[in-house]
Amino acid sequence: MSFCLDTYLQQSDNYEIHASKAGFKDCAMIIRYKADDLVYIKPGDEVLGVRVIGIPPIPIGFDNEKGTVFLPYTKPCHGTSVVELPIDKEEVEKIKKLDTGNKK
Amino acid sequence: MKALVLLGCPETPSQTPMAVYVFNKLTKLGYDTTIAANPAASKLVKISDPEGYYKLNLVDLERTLGEINEGDYDLLVGFVHKDAAASFFVTFDQILNTKSLALVFSRDINEVEEFVNMIEESGSNAKIEAIRAFHNPSPIKVKFDKAIKEFE
Repeated sequence: MSFCLDTYLQQSDNYEIHASKAGFKDCAMIIRYKADDLVYIKPGDEVLGVRVIGIPPIPIGFDNEKGTVFLPYTKPCHGTSVVELPIDKEEVEKIKKLDTGNKK
Repeated sequence: MKALVLLGCPETPSQTPMAVYVFNKLTKLGYDTTIAANPAASKLVKISDPEGYYKLNLVDLERTLGEINEGDYDLLVGFVHKDAAASFFVTFDQILNTKSLALVFSRDINEVEEFVNMIEESGSNAKIEAIRAFHNPSPIKVKFDKAIKEFE
């Protein structure tokens, strides 16, 4: 069964929220600041079983030492959050294939 | 012809009557219209039509996001009155890659400008109608009527 971010966030406490109820641009800036490795994806690209919502280019960050990913997570009434959670190498490779290279 | 209407957070009073208005208008223009909304926004719209007069076709916003593909709709209309609504609109717009209209409004004119910039910076080809509005749906209705005439 493939990984699903929504289910993970409901059923696990092994994640960190770095910003919540924020604007998309602020969250993108936090991801750029915190990550030591970045890819930029298109809105609607699927990461960890969900389509990522945002304004392109959407940064997805990695902390290679901790083995975690930073991504924006948007809900209609709660704005955008930055979520950091553990990720395996196979998923990292899948995300890196989505890189548009567009850093604006 | 199929149209998808995106609703944002239900906090703004003018969104619900405008959702019913837009649904009715698009249906009369011949569009098979669907409204995608979160459960709270959806409930406000549903209760506004107790006898089912408008035959409102309401679906869950996030489930729809997971299911749509390019070419599924001929027109996208989005209510953009929050940062998250701008993000949702741009995302649906990029996936569907179809004719689209963003109805941008807020009680704060700076927010209106900010949301317009977000859509423009995304590279979207959407038609953007922007107005300062919150309680009163009339300014949004006027903007929508004008824009939809250009699409006819």
